[in-house]
Amino acid sequence: MDYTGLFELAWIIPILPIISFLIVGFLGQKIKGRGGIIAVGLVAAAMVLSLTIAYAALTGGLPEQGYFEQSFNWVVLGSDFTIQMGIYIDAVTALMLIVVSFVATLVVIYSLGYMHDEGDRRRRYFTEISLFVGVMLGLVLANNFLELFIFWELVGLCSYLLIGFWFEKPSAASAAKKAFLVTRVGDVMFLIGLVIIFNLFHSTSYSTIFSPEEIAGVDQTWLMWGVFFMFGGAIGKSAQFPLHDWLPDAMEGPTTVSALIHAATMVKAGVYLVARMFPLLVHAENVMLLIAVIGGVTAFMAATMALNSPNIKRVLAYSTISQLGYMFLALGAGGYMFALGLEEGNEELMVAGSLGFAAGMFHLMNHAFFKALLFLSAGSVIHYVHTEEMAKMGGLRKHMKVTSLVMLIGSLSIAGIVPLSGFWSKDLILETVWEGRLDSIIFLGLYVLAVLTAFMTAFYMFRMWFLTFAGEEGEATKHAAAHHDEHHVDSHGSDEHDHKESHGHHEAPWVMLAPLIVLAILAIGSGFALFIGSGFTSVIYFEIPYTHDAGYWLEKFFWGESSFLTYISLAAAVLGIALAYFTFYKKRVDAPAIASKPAVKPLYNMLLKRYGFTKGYDYVGEKIVYGFSLALDWFDRKIIDGLVNGFSKLIQRSGAGLRRAQTGFVQTYAGVVAGGAVAMMLLLFFLLKLLGIEVHP
Amino acid sequence: MDATGIPLNWFLILSACLFVIGLAGVLIKRNAIVVLMSIELMLNAANINLVAFSVYNNDPTGQVLALFSIGLAAAEVAIGLAILLNLNRLRDTVDLNDLTILRW
Repeated sequence: MDYTGLFELAWIIPILPIISFLIVGFLGQKIKGRGGIIAVGLVAAAMVLSLTIAYAALTGGLPEQGYFEQSFNWVVLGSDFTIQMGIYIDAVTALMLIVVSFVATLVVIYSLGYMHDEGDRRRRYFTEISLFVGVMLGLVLANNFLELFIFWELVGLCSYLLIGFWFEKPSAASAAKKAFLVTRVGDVMFLIGLVIIFNLFHSTSYSTIFSPEEIAGVDQTWLMWGVFFMFGGAIGKSAQFPLHDWLPDAMEGPTTVSALIHAATMVKAGVYLVARMFPLLVHAENVMLLIAVIGGVTAFMAATMALNSPNIKRVLAYSTISQLGYMFLALGAGGYMFALGLEEGNEELMVAGSLGFAAGMFHLMNHAFFKALLFLSAGSVIHYVHTEEMAKMGGLRKHMKVTSLVMLIGSLSIAGIVPLSGFWSKDLILETVWEGRLDSIIFLGLYVLAVLTAFMTAFYMFRMWFLTFAGEEGEATKHAAAHHDEHHVDSHGSDEHDHKESHGHHEAPWVMLAPLIVLAILAIGSGFALFIGSGFTSVIYFEIPYTHDAGYWLEKFFWGESSFLTYISLAAAVLGIALAYFTFYKKRVDAPAIASKPAVKPLYNMLLKRYGFTKGYDYVGEKIVYGFSLALDWFDRKIIDGLVNGFSKLIQRSGAGLRRAQTGFVQTYAGVVAGGAVAMMLLLFFLLKLLGIEVHP
Repeated sequence: MDATGIPLNWFLILSACLFVIGLAGVLIKRNAIVVLMSIELMLNAANINLVAFSVYNNDPTGQVLALFSIGLAAAEVAIGLAILLNLNRLRDTVDLNDLTILRW
């Protein structure tokens, strides 16, 4: 069936939320509810269109070449350099459209309840979040890297604005600045890479850049540097080591923002960029190896920091960094194998490599659902107890039955318990990395790190769940319960309701619970996307034949020859959960005692201090960058300004000197004229003499 | 040779002397009236040259031109004196060094 007409409507997708941005931004104050309904409506409309288009794209509706493109020339520089604007839809785009639009819609609906108490500020919130959804969808649909970069910067702006939503709090204001500046480091690298790529290909359009003939025709060393710098952009945006430290601070924003921007969508832009660059990256296996190493190290490091974080949102933030690391690890490992296979003409290796790609994208989707679920559940908890400190929570299970259940589902999913979604993708990632050990010994180390990460993931997620929902009631829980009961009685004007009935009112309103339930269903079920069609491998388009369908992969990895790896990853998850259960629920292990042992204490504190990265950033900012700026300032004031001022002084002085020549007396001028005439006559005379010319009257 | 028997060079030397005296007066003198008089000297030096060449070449055109030149000189002096008279009335001086109103 021909879906061209449908794909041609894709440009409307980002426009819809931007219309909401304009309406709510300019008229929000006059609308009841400060524009929340409008934002929900238009974002949901964008979602419907996105899902329709994604469905068409993923069920074989794309043209023969594997993508649909529609563009117009935006900037034409001479005959050679052209920059376009347009939309590009392939399987990866379709996947991102599903994730972004779907999670965005649920989060905006949830926001109606979560932001209810913010009053007039809701207008700003819904304005900014509409803009974010619009530009994020634009980023996904862009048909060239420059357009992607423009939207990339715009989502960065939205992130800044929303982290600093409560800007009167100094911590929020500085967190917003930190996020903006740290991602800026990556963005500058992205821009450098973009310029290199543009120079090589004389175009930024995907369809031009990704054609094998074009790639074969450019300098491979420069291509490597180009993709390396562009990957730098991905590091910043996706909070990878060493630019990861902004994400935990970004939790200063509203929890809905953390769920949408800093877990489900914007931070995935880096992963999306790497996935998008894949056809280029497979020609630079060194960069692929670097991506895998950075992914693996980040996954491990972030997981360790999540182990003892006292703040519920911070745990989720570290977990996000860690899971993003998994995605990069999968893309890097797969890409490395693919690059080697491409070099050697080894098709088996290329297929294994593309599986890594599929694993990364698969995890991206699953993570978006279960992490949004976890964040929104945490938001529901925070909404109820008005604190983010887990030490003050505890025992919330009795008060928030639905929330505790959906959060348990999310935790099981992220921990990788079969058959929830996290299991499938995480296992696929681990398998890919294990597969890579045959080509580079580094992957063996990365595999060990990844398994340890899986163990820690299960541990810290269940530590969080037990601390929040199980055990004795913390002070914040008691306070909140008392407060809500009182409120309940007041609102009904009678105290006939007994205590048990009023429990229902402790739970968040339905507008918040409904998105949680939808996400919980997805956190359970989205892993089964692996069983549809040719498995998740169909999200990629490369010029290699897909001879194997999902059954082959399932056979090979989950219950075939390397099924023992599946047992390892499952065992890691179960061990982690068990350890958390005995430590924080049964209290068989005395966690505070261990933490205060002299051998463990420094490590414990180091984790709380995030390995000193926070200090390190400050040091870099205050000492190195500021010092360098001072030097530049000196250079600017003294050398540059000195040169300019000195030049103008020279002109002024010499002008003042030369002015003396112009006396203003006619007689002086007449003297000069007379002297000049005489001099010319003498000159003429001697010249004629010299040349021996006789003049006769 | 010509009718007077005086060689042409003598006229030229005389006119050159007159011209240089006039030029010196124009360049050196401070009094505007003296400057005007010096200009007359220079003009007359030119006239002597014109008449001398005219006789020497036996061509009356030079003498006609000399007559024009005298007329022109008269007009010039008339205007120059008029300006100086007005200047004297307004600024009470004809000293060129005092007339610095347009100077930097």
